[in-house]
This record gives sequence, C-alpha cells and structure tokens, in this order.
Amino acid sequence: MATTIEHPEKTIAEPQLLGFLAEFDNPHALIDASKKVRDAGYQKWDTHTPFPLHGIDNAMGIKWTILPWIVACCGLMGGTIAIGMQWYMNAYDYPFLISGKPLFSIPACIPIVFELSVLLAAFGAFFGMLGLNQLPKLYNPLFKSEAFRRATNDRFFISMDAKDAKFSEIDTGEFLKSLNPTNVEEFWSDVESPKLPRNLKLALSIVGVLMIMPPALVAYKRSTTTNTPRVHIVPDMDFQPSLKAQNTTDVFSDGREIRPNIKGTIPRGQFKDDNIPFYYGLKYLPEDQDVVTIAVQDEKKADAKPAEDKKAAAEKAPATKPAAADPAAAAAAAAKKLDELPWVTEFPMPVTAKMMARGKERYRIYCSACHGLGGEGDGLVTLRAMDLQQGTWVKPASYHTDNVRKLPVGRLYHTITNGVRKMPAYGPQIPPEDRWSIVLYLKALQKSHQIDANTISEEEKRKLRDTK
Amino acid sequence: MASVTAEPIDTTIEVPGKRTPLVTGAHDYGTVTDAVCRLAECKAPKAWYLALGVSACLMGMLFGLIGYLIITGVGVWGNRSPVFWGWPIVNFVFWVGIGHAGTLISAILFLFRQDWRTGINRAAEAMTIFAVVCAGVFPGIHIGRVWLAYWLFPIPNQMAMWPNFRSPLLWDVFAVSTYATVSLLFWYMGMIPDLATLRDRATGKIQQFAYGLFSLGWNGSSRHWHRYERAYLLLAALAAPLVLSVHTIVSFDFAVSQLPGWHTTIFPPYFVAGAVFSGFAMVLTLMIPARKICGIEDLLTDRHLENMTKVIIATGTMVGYAYAMEFFIAWYGGNRYETFAFINRAFGPYAWAYWIMVSCNVISPQLFWIKKIRTTPWMIFVVCVFVNIGMWFERFVITVTSLSRDFLPSSWGYFKPTIVDVLMLIGSFGLFMTLFLLFCKFLPMVAMAEVKSVMASPHDHGDDQPDIPDSHGQYQSENSDTE
Repeated sequence: MATTIEHPEKTIAEPQLLGFLAEFDNPHALIDASKKVRDAGYQKWDTHTPFPLHGIDNAMGIKWTILPWIVACCGLMGGTIAIGMQWYMNAYDYPFLISGKPLFSIPACIPIVFELSVLLAAFGAFFGMLGLNQLPKLYNPLFKSEAFRRATNDRFFISMDAKDAKFSEIDTGEFLKSLNPTNVEEFWSDVESPKLPRNLKLALSIVGVLMIMPPALVAYKRSTTTNTPRVHIVPDMDFQPSLKAQNTTDVFSDGREIRPNIKGTIPRGQFKDDNIPFYYGLKYLPEDQDVVTIAVQDEKKADAKPAEDKKAAAEKAPATKPAAADPAAAAAAAAKKLDELPWVTEFPMPVTAKMMARGKERYRIYCSACHGLGGEGDGLVTLRAMDLQQGTWVKPASYHTDNVRKLPVGRLYHTITNGVRKMPAYGPQIPPEDRWSIVLYLKALQKSHQIDANTISEEEKRKLRDTK
Repeated sequence: MASVTAEPIDTTIEVPGKRTPLVTGAHDYGTVTDAVCRLAECKAPKAWYLALGVSACLMGMLFGLIGYLIITGVGVWGNRSPVFWGWPIVNFVFWVGIGHAGTLISAILFLFRQDWRTGINRAAEAMTIFAVVCAGVFPGIHIGRVWLAYWLFPIPNQMAMWPNFRSPLLWDVFAVSTYATVSLLFWYMGMIPDLATLRDRATGKIQQFAYGLFSLGWNGSSRHWHRYERAYLLLAALAAPLVLSVHTIVSFDFAVSQLPGWHTTIFPPYFVAGAVFSGFAMVLTLMIPARKICGIEDLLTDRHLENMTKVIIATGTMVGYAYAMEFFIAWYGGNRYETFAFINRAFGPYAWAYWIMVSCNVISPQLFWIKKIRTTPWMIFVVCVFVNIGMWFERFVITVTSLSRDFLPSSWGYFKPTIVDVLMLIGSFGLFMTLFLLFCKFLPMVAMAEVKSVMASPHDHGDDQPDIPDSHGQYQSENSDTE
C-alpha cells in the first residue's frame, strides 16, 4: 500500500477484500448463526438461501418492506388514469352518443378501471420488488466463489460486507468461524475492471443501429415534401380496378366502360311499364308507346294537382270567388284529358266466378260505405253527410247513369286507383287484382239494374222473388 | 441433511394425524434440484423430439394458414350470415378458458395456503401463458385487416378518433392483454430464483449467458427473498380477482348483446366455472405425460393429480348446474325466444353438439367420484381429454346455436366450418404444444424453490421445534405468522 505513490494505476488494480462468506449445510444452523450475527451488531451483512426461509426475517431483524404502499399507489394511479381516459376520450374529446346512453357513466367504466388498476399494481409489485432489491445486477463479486453456486441449490450462506463499521479482517473471520459453519472464505474485488465481450459490443451496436433506422426513416418522410405519393405497404382500397362510366376500355369489344342493358332484364322500377293494361288500365299500343308513357305521367300529375288546388281553394274560397272557379276548370280540363286516353275496354285477365265473388267482397268492404250496396250513391256515410247537410260533401254519382255506364273498364279501374273528386285514391290500399275484381262486380251491378225482365228465365225470376 | 422417507409411499391415502408428504422418494434439496434441472441439462428423450417435431409441423401449418388468411381475407373461414361469430371466437374463448387453471392454481391456491400447488404451479402458469398466446391469435386475425389492429388501442391517430369504451369488445382487449401481462410477470417472477439455479449449474457458454441474463443477478439474499415473497403475495392477490374478471368480461361479449341464449346474467359465473374446469383438465392432460417423460413423479405425485380431479368434480358439477339453470330460467323467465333457443339447442339442428357437450362435461367428470379412476393416471388422462372436447363444444354450442336461430326465421341458417377452420384449430394446438415442449426442455418445469420450502424435512420452517405434528395433524411453526 505504501508503494502506491510511484505507480498510482497499480493501486486500482490491486484486489480489495470485500468480505467473508460462511457456508452452512442446513437452514436451522443458518438461523441460529444469523441470530448471533444480528446480536453482535453487524449492519451490512446478508444471508443467502435457495428458498425463502421462514423465520430468517426475525433472526436477521429484517424490517417490513414498503412494497405494499408502492403497489397501492400504482393501483390507484391505474384506476385514476382509466377513469380520466374514458371520460376524456368518450365524453369530452370525441363524444360517443350511442342509443341515447349517457356520455359518461361509472358502471360502464368499471371493467377498464379494474383492469388498469390491476395492471399498474402488478407493474408496481414486479418492478417495485426489482427496484428495492436493486436488480437486475448481473455482476456480483460473490458469483466468483465456486462454493456460492450452491446458494441457489442446497447450501446456506452468510455474507459479511467489508464496508460494515464493525468489520475487521481478523475479528470478523474469527467470529464467523465460531458460528460452526462448514466453510468460511473471503471474497475479493476484481483485478481488472469487467469489460463487455467484443462480440456483445458488436451485436449491441448492430441492434442499436437497426432500432434507430425505422423511426429515422419515418421522421425523414414526415419532414420532407415530395411529389410522389407515399409508400403504400398495404394499399387497402386506395387503388381499385373497377370500371367507371364515360370512360373507354379494351375489356369490351364496343370499347365502352358503361354497359348497355342486357336483353330480357327489367330495369329497377320499370316492372309495371311492361304490363300497362293491367297496372294502368290503358291500352298498350306499340306504335304509341311514348304517348302512353306520357299519358301515365300526366295521369300522375293530374292526380297530384287537384289535391293541392283544393287545399289552396279551401283557404282562399271566402276571399276571392274566381280562385274557386279556377280549380273547377282545371279539374274539368283534367277530366277531358282523361277521356281522350286509350282506356282498355276488356278485362286484361280471364274473368272467373271466383273473381266476381272476390270483387263483391272487396266492394262491400271498400266501396259500399259511400256508394251503397247497390251502387246508387246511397251508402251510410253519404246518408249521414246528407243528413248533417255538410257543404263540403259531394254526393257520389250513381253507377246507373248513362255517363258512368258508358265508361270503359280501364277508366273505372283508374278511378279506383287514383280517386276522383272527393273520393281518395284506393291504389295504395287495394292490390291491382282486387281493383279489377271490384270493376267486374261494379259492371255486374250496372247490368243488374238495366236488364229486360223478359230475357230472364222463369227459374231465375223465381229465385229473385224469393231472395230478400 | 434434509431428507424424507426412502421407501415409496402411497400419497393418496389419508393417514389421520399425519400430513402426507408433498415430495416422495429419497429426496433432499440437492436431489430436487437435480431432478428438475436434469431435462434442461441433459439430452432430451426421444419422445420429446418426436412430440416437438409433430407440434412444430402443426404450428407451421397454423402460420401458413394465417398468411393465407391475411392475403385472401377472412372469407376463407365458414363465418357468414347469420353466423358471423364462428370457430375463431369459439377457439378464442376456449383457449382463454384453458389459461385460467394456471393463474388459479398459482394465485388462489397460494392465497389459500394450499402447499400442494408448488408441484404443479410452474407448468400450469406456463400453460396459461401459452394458452393466452393461442387465444390472442384468433381475435387478432379475426379483425380482417390485421395491420390496423392498433385501432383497438386508445392511441391518438390521424383520424382523431377514440375507441368506444362502452363496448365489451374493447373491455376484452384490456382484460386479455392485462391478463397476459400479469400472468407473464407472475410466471417470470416466480421463475427468477429457479433461473438463477440453472445459471449456477450451467456449463455451456450460451446457457450461462441466457440464464444469467434472465435471472437478473439473483443471489438468494434473504433481504431480497423478503421483498420477493411480499411481491409474490401481492401479485397473487391481484391475479386472483383478475382471473375471475377476465372470463367475466369475455362472457360480456355475449351477455351484453340482446340475442336469445346469450343475454343472461348467469354467463359470468358460468364462464368462469367452465374456464377453471377446462383449465384443470388441460393441466392434467399435459402433466400426466410430462411427469412421466421428465421423470418428476416424486415431485408431482398421484396426490397432486387426485386433488386436481377433485377440483374438476366441483367445477364440472357447477357447469352442469349452469346448464340446468339456463333451461330453467328460459322456461321460468317466460321469454319465448329464450325458451325456443334452449329447446333448439337440445333438440334442434345442433343437438349432436349439445349432447356431446353434456356427456363430456356433465357426465364424464362424475366418474371421478370413484377413487380408482381418481388415482389412476391414464384414466384421469382419458376423462380429461373428454372434458377438453366437451368444453370446446360448449363454446361452439353457445356461439353457433344462438346466432344460427335468432328472432327471425328469415335470418336463420346452418353454420358449416371450412377446412381452414378445422386446420387452424389443430394448428393452434401445435403452437400450444410447441411452446409447452420448449418450456419443458429449457426452463425449470417445477418451482424448485417453492417445493424445497414445503418439503417435509427437519427444520423446514426454520423453527426450533422438531417436526412432530400436533393434534390437528399440523406441523408447528412458531414463525409462520412472521413470514
């Protein structure tokens, strides 16, 4: 030690006594020895056992650890973070309104609060334990002792640190020997400072460089401007091979990307146009197809207008008389226009007894309330309205006038579908088949009022007389 | 030296007034270390290589199929209207459930001071980790565009949007990832002292480096042990409610929806019981061959197996009760859709699956009432395999029957898995087994330090009393309350 003045670097290299290591072969002996070391007043010493030895805490005088408090704090922190996060994210920064549920409510938060509390508390327990134990500490001079390797297997050790105030090279060694250990040895500091192996250094630097590269590339890309699009590692649906309207293509021989209708298919919403007699009661004339189409459109417009006009008229009526005349004229014009349309005169389907029965049933349900069971315009609603003398009520026309009798079936069908005057449109309520059935029954009613008694057979006459 | 009885004893017999040793054979601390470390230090038996080869192939198949799925899209699965939750979710719930036994054994049995857990907890925890890995695969790829999986996490992104925290699917993300993390910490922390043992015995440079790195410089200091035990106790106390919460939250995925057969309050406890049930069965399925191959029958005795079969009887009966109660409530609740859902389960197009489930889960564990079956390893193994099959079918029945027959007959359908579904399930077993076999070979399969601390050896508790059981058959340990 005295020669250190000339070669100061050598003193650093000289090994120092770091402490003693006493070995025991059973836990009982270790605990007995520990009590003696504790009572002798040593502070910087430790025991090493292959498993947690219960009773050694007392024997060594180990104080309670603060770890539970660390864990409790971490757990509370986790819960607070969780509840704050959920409030901020779902109720404040990006309000999620789902089915009118409250934006923030404690019950829905509980699962996440619980999970994050447990997660952070577990981190607290694990890393808190490591921190308090000052681990990881891969280098430890004790590890150089061959005997100490059994500390994790089946041997029990006491280590005395030379830094302890009571430590002395001779006395402490004697003291340890008096505890009846199987062996006592000294442990020394290293002559050379530990160095990382060359290979490890190389490997670590390569890993370090590789780890820096991705963030460096991202940072570069984000901070530079470029004319070309970004790199699409996963393009998702950014680029699609689908064809677009108005473009040309080589895929089809006609070079068009937009495709014409395929033969035999019906475009959406045009199904009815393929059976105009049935759905509109109009004759289908191939040479006049456009006329018919226009007529159908006109009909729809004509149907929509009177309703509006009437409404307007009802409001204006007391103020200006001419305004009331206008809708009447418009209605007349519309009626005239309807007269000119090519209505079907035959039923666009086979007429059967079943259809007649259906028509009678439907007529009684939908029509008889106003028109009366016999079609004379004397339904119960009409009678009541007449009774009350309501000015707005227009009495339904009898079917048995020449005017109505002459109307083609298509026109009758149209009236049921779209209504006329006070009568509302029944198209939405009654399916087309039933409307035709009603027309059929209506025709039968008309016929029943105009028949010559002589043309009826005697049997029929008798039947009619008996029927009430 | 610490040593126990030399002659082999039958650990399954109860001797009044005497506690049955948890370690049999002529073992002292050193030989326990030798027995556990042998597999990591010697050449593995042929059976291990064979098993690893097979399971690695299956794992390769799983990864291949995942690649295929990502490139092609999730349409390669049989999930389609009306059953959009098919096998991937069934597999997910199945694997998460398997994981539960590990944490249950290590945490709840630890808190209850059940010392017999020391023989099995390490392997069971490892099983938990690997089962959670297998479980995580399925929802991970189920989202379709896996590269956008980060949308699940509350990370600020360019769309300035946040996930919906009122969705049970998001709770799942938190629950399962917390569970995986805490289980991993628990498992790894328990292993640190044993890794130190392996480090101190290692001869090769690579082993010394690897075990040295992962044992974090553990030196067995009693001051360290003190904090370590406290931390272990706290982690166990945290993991115990966590394990119950995870499957509860998984069950919320179902129970919070409005579907008949799913929308029931029995789901959380029922799922947890089922998870523990299947988990214990899986532990036994793995440990019975593993203890044979690794030669650790002395540490993992027939008594350990028997104790676990008792847990299986208990949880299996709970599961049976839950099945009965679902039916009862479906009738008693007076909800027509619910009633139909359950009648349809038992007698509808999936009746075959339902009855496989009932016979495997309710009937087969009842065989464990017979002592002969309870104490014969190969019989336990067979019953446990049935339980595993049954529990997979339970998840299948819950998921598929409810979805395929919901409120409107117009939206009914019959689910058929594709070959990809089937191979992925098999492949997930390959992944699981590969990880487990690598664990058996390279890591301490039994918690050496813990086994040593419960060995029936003189002065094992460090007290001054010789080991004489008291009138309750308990060994005295005056210091046990100061641990």
